[in-house]
Order: sequence, then structure tokens, then C-alpha cells
Amino acid sequence: MLKHPMLKYLKESGPHGTRLPLIMCPGCGVGQVLNYTLHAVDSIIKEGGANKEDFVFISGVGCSSRLTSHYLNFDSGWTIHGRALAIATGVLLANPDLNIVVFTGDGDAAAIGGNHFIHAFRRNINVTVICMNNGLYGMTGGQVAPTTLSQAVTSTTPYGNIEDAFDLCRLAQSSGASYVARWTTAHPHKTIKAIKKAICKKGAAFIEILSQCPVHKKQTPVDMIRALKAMTVPIKNAEGSSKIPVGEFCDTPRPEWTQKYEAIIEKCAGRKS
Amino acid sequence: MSGAPLEKKQDGTGPAALISSGRHYLEGSEACVEGALIAGLKVYGGYPITPASEIMEHAARRLPMVGGRFIQMEDEISAACTLVGASWAGGKAMTATSGPGFSLMQETISFSIMTETPLVIVDVQRPGPGQGYITTSQEDVMQARWGHHGEGPIIALAPSSVQDMFDFTIEAFNLSETWRTPVLIMAEETVAHMREGLFVPDLDQIKVVLRKKPQDLGIAPQDYQPYGHDLVPPLADFGDGYNINHVSLAHHPDGNVANYNLDMHRKNIDRLHDKIEGNADVIARTESRFLEDCEHLLICYGTVARTGLEAIMEARETHGIKIGFLRLVTLWPFPQSLLRKRIKKVGTIFVPEMNLGMMMHPITEALRDRCDQVVSIPSIGALHSPEALLEKIREVVKC
Repeated sequence: MLKHPMLKYLKESGPHGTRLPLIMCPGCGVGQVLNYTLHAVDSIIKEGGANKEDFVFISGVGCSSRLTSHYLNFDSGWTIHGRALAIATGVLLANPDLNIVVFTGDGDAAAIGGNHFIHAFRRNINVTVICMNNGLYGMTGGQVAPTTLSQAVTSTTPYGNIEDAFDLCRLAQSSGASYVARWTTAHPHKTIKAIKKAICKKGAAFIEILSQCPVHKKQTPVDMIRALKAMTVPIKNAEGSSKIPVGEFCDTPRPEWTQKYEAIIEKCAGRKS
Repeated sequence: MSGAPLEKKQDGTGPAALISSGRHYLEGSEACVEGALIAGLKVYGGYPITPASEIMEHAARRLPMVGGRFIQMEDEISAACTLVGASWAGGKAMTATSGPGFSLMQETISFSIMTETPLVIVDVQRPGPGQGYITTSQEDVMQARWGHHGEGPIIALAPSSVQDMFDFTIEAFNLSETWRTPVLIMAEETVAHMREGLFVPDLDQIKVVLRKKPQDLGIAPQDYQPYGHDLVPPLADFGDGYNINHVSLAHHPDGNVANYNLDMHRKNIDRLHDKIEGNADVIARTESRFLEDCEHLLICYGTVARTGLEAIMEARETHGIKIGFLRLVTLWPFPQSLLRKRIKKVGTIFVPEMNLGMMMHPITEALRDRCDQVVSIPSIGALHSPEALLEKIREVVKC
């Protein structure tokens, strides 16, 4: 039987039964993002850029965070809501040679994890953050998120959202990220390229992927993916447009946290008190 | 469990950078960090809070000297979280905080119990609730056991001297690696800021425990179950090639999520409970004096054990009161069967604590049929003086 080329990176089954298919609802964008990420990782491994055991995947809680859990045939941690970046910071400090990829959602990253989000980019720790932004809390029933567009009706904004949405890319960029890009699930090749570039860079990289939640938005996946294309515009043409810019927001390498700390270790090595 | 080799490394980050054996004069906070370094501390994630900041400041100075890494995080939540990540990547990790920060760390403590993650948290207790006060306290001893959500047993130690701050920190790391679980050091402002003599034995005489790893047991990556194999499952580090999936949702031994399988979850919770509570006699320690002839008993922990012992000596020598002394070295798991083995029958059990009576509850539960009464001697924000304790003892025993 023909198998999906990325299946080798997943745990299909174990002593306690099958693990696939993923729990995501039909038409969800999260599975697409997993596919794109694994393509990027596969390409890096094939080119000799890193070994499979050098990768660590960390996530928080929410639909997108279910990607690590028990599915990945990699080292991984499915952690606490909002805390993926704090835990990733600890992984990095104990072993700076690892390639850490953080899967997160918009609620996980920007609401409960908002403080960790800005500080991770300020510190410029060597992680790649892949944020699946569907503009709501999917797992808990479609509640409003800090990324929900103004006026949108959700299960907790039945009369329309009176708050404005965060622009996560601008937030990451102004916090000090080395690399920031936004794409959508409707842009597979661009997304794979951006993820690969982000992982290969030393420093904090942020990839936002606008993603569809057909269940809570009550639309068909095809319509939603078409809409993602229609509502976005390449960043170079974004001036004066009301559409959401996609593309690279910044690519400005600066010294990474553990690189700078290394100088302190060298200075202090062997001192007694 | 074998002792860790403290080999000297090429870069000079071996024992040369550790505290030398012999006599020292240190603050409790410093002794805590020096003990941690000997235990193999590699990562410290911290957040400032009075009266625990000195531990963090000393860690910031000392860690790079041994090739470890220190980071000051944005809050206590993330500080505790860094320990989880560091531990998964194979680095021994600790933090220190006080009441308000300890509250914020409960989320990580619960998570670490379920994911069986070794790490050490020091709570330098101050009085609460709220911001409370910044003197000394034992008001978090119940939070240590019951503050985190869910059925999660915990190990917690109560130091009473600078020597304890050194010894217990090493012991805390050893316990966390042995039992693959978070360990709490329930220190007090008194003991963290106390400055007194410390004796450091020869470094090669100090027992340092390393976690059991699947590769040590001959378990191949494809056969590895992160929550299986044994009562204490072996723990693979990130980067070892074991494709470990850490999961805190109800899970099977192999890390596969146990959806709609309450039996599996119950089995796991029972194992977590057995691991710690079932080994309370192995894990928990007490210290005692004058139990042979005692008609009354004083049970205490932390620095209260020092004023408590002084009061008892005075009561025995000057007033002829036959009172015994028992110190809970380990608060949790509560050494219930140890207490019942050692205490046969006494009149009054006095329990002085720097709270309104917290550990007196499990003490009463353990010994209600072994005594006439349990008398709490509370204190808020200050250590009891030996005189105050003696007065209370004399008042009750009418001597």
C-alpha cells in the first residue's frame, strides 16, 4: 500500500493500540501544518543539516498542541497551556545543540502564554515557533481569542467581538524575533520554505500560519481555504491594502541567548566562588 | 542507583569549581546552591522574591563557573517551567521562591508529578496570605502537599540549619532522580538567611544519584515506554534517540493517550501514589531524642526543631519533665507508620509550628490513640523562643 511519505515521522501504533488518524476534525488546518512542518524537517535531515534525534517538539494545550502528544516519532513534550515557550527555554539551556520546534495556537501563544511569547523573542532563544492561528479557541468550543477579528460572533461574543485582534507577527517582530513570517494553510510551498529557513536560523523565529476551523466557523474547508487566499496579500503589495499581509516580516539575525551565555561560561570556567 | 562520577573535565568545569571539602561559614541560601552544584545542578530558572532571592543571586554567580546555565524568567510560572524542559533534556534543575511564587508554581508541580519529571523547588517560606509579611513562616507546608490540582503525591523536606540546606538539597536531587518526581525543600526565611558553620565532606564521599535510563537497562528505543517498565519508569533524555513523548493527559505506559479509558488512568494514578506514599518508610526520615522514657512528646520540623530541642533540654534538666523530642525531617510523604512504630503511649503531644497548626492534623491522625491530647503551639511570622515553648509545656503538664 502506498504510504504518505511523512508517515515515517509519526507513531502509527504502539503496544496500546493505534494512534492514527489524528484527532483533528475533518477539514482542520492543523494536520496540514503538521505535514508542512515534517516536509521542512525531512528536507533538513536529507540535506544533512541535522539528525532526526536533534529535533525536539514542544507544545502547550489546544487543538494545535495535540500535534506533539503521542503522534510524533520524535522527542517531544505536550506541556502546559501557554507554557510551551518557557519549557522550551529550559530544554535549550540544558542542551543548546537541539533543534526546538514549538507548536502553538493563537490562544495558547497570545492569551495565556502572551508573557512568555514576548520574552522568548526578546531573549532571542534558539526556537522555531509555529503558531496555527484560527482566530478562536477550537478545543473548548469556539470561544473568542486575542486574534479574533473585531465584530466576529463566537460562542462567548454572541453579540459580536468588541475587542481588536493582536497582530502576532508584529508582536513577535517588535519583541525582538530574528525571523518572522506569516503564511496560510493555502500556501503549502511557501510555508514549508519559511519553516525550513526558521529552523536553520540560530535565534527565535516565528511562523504564523492562518488556519481554518470549519467546525466552529460553520463553513466548508474548501471555502475557508479559498478565503484564506483571497483575504491575504503579499507583504510587498500590502501598503494601502485592507487585506492581511503574508510573507517575511523580518530576517534580522542577532546573537542568540545561549551564544551570549557561552561567553560568560568561558569567562567564569573553573572559578570557585 | 550508583553515584555520579564527578570527573574533572578538560574545560575546568569539574570538581575544581565546586566548594572544597572542609569547614565553611556560609548563609543557608549559599549552602543550598553549593549543595545543588555538588548534586549536579545544570540549569536554574528563577524569579526574584523576598526572602528567596539570595538563592537565585548565588546561582547566577556560581552556575557558569561549573558550565551550567542560569536564567531569570518573566515570572514564577515560567521559572518552574524551565526546570521541566531542562530535566527532559538531561539537566538537573532547580528554582527557589516564596509563598506567592510558590502558588504560581503549583501548575508546574502538578504537571511534573504526572509526567514524572525530576526537579527541585525550594520554598523559602514567608507569612501569608496575600503578600502577607516578609519574615519567617511554615505556612506553606499544606500547600506543598495539597496546593496542586489532582491526586499527586509529593516529597517535601524541612531543613533546620545551614548544614541541612546543603545536605537536604543534595538529598532532594537524589530523591527526585531516584523516584522520578519533583521534590520540594520547605525552607524558612530563618534558615535561608542564617549564617553558621558548614562542614563539606570529601566530595567523593557524597552520594549523587543519576536517573535510571532505558539504555542502562538494555531497553531498545522501539521497546521503550516512558511510563512503563517499572514502578519508577526509566527516563530517556531528549537527544538520546528514544523518541520520548512526554504527556500529562491520562496515558498508557507507552505514552499513548488513554482516551475514554478510566481504568488505565486509575492504574497510573495508583502507581504514582504507590511510588511515593507506598515507599513512605523508605523516603521519609525523622530524628528523635529521649523517646525511651518520655511521658510527653514535642513534634516539630524546620528551625522550630532547634528552639524546640533547647526547650526540651531545659524542661528535662531544670524542671524534671520527661518529655521527648521528634523532628519530622520529611514532611511529605507523611511518615505515619514510622511515627506509629516509634511512639507507643504518651500524655500530651506538643506541636509548635510557625502557622496556626497545620502539620498537627496529620500528626493527630497518626497518633490520636497513642496520646491523651495534641496541643498546637502556633506562631505567626516569628520563631518561637525556647522560653515561650517551655512556658507552654509547663502550663500544660502543670510543673
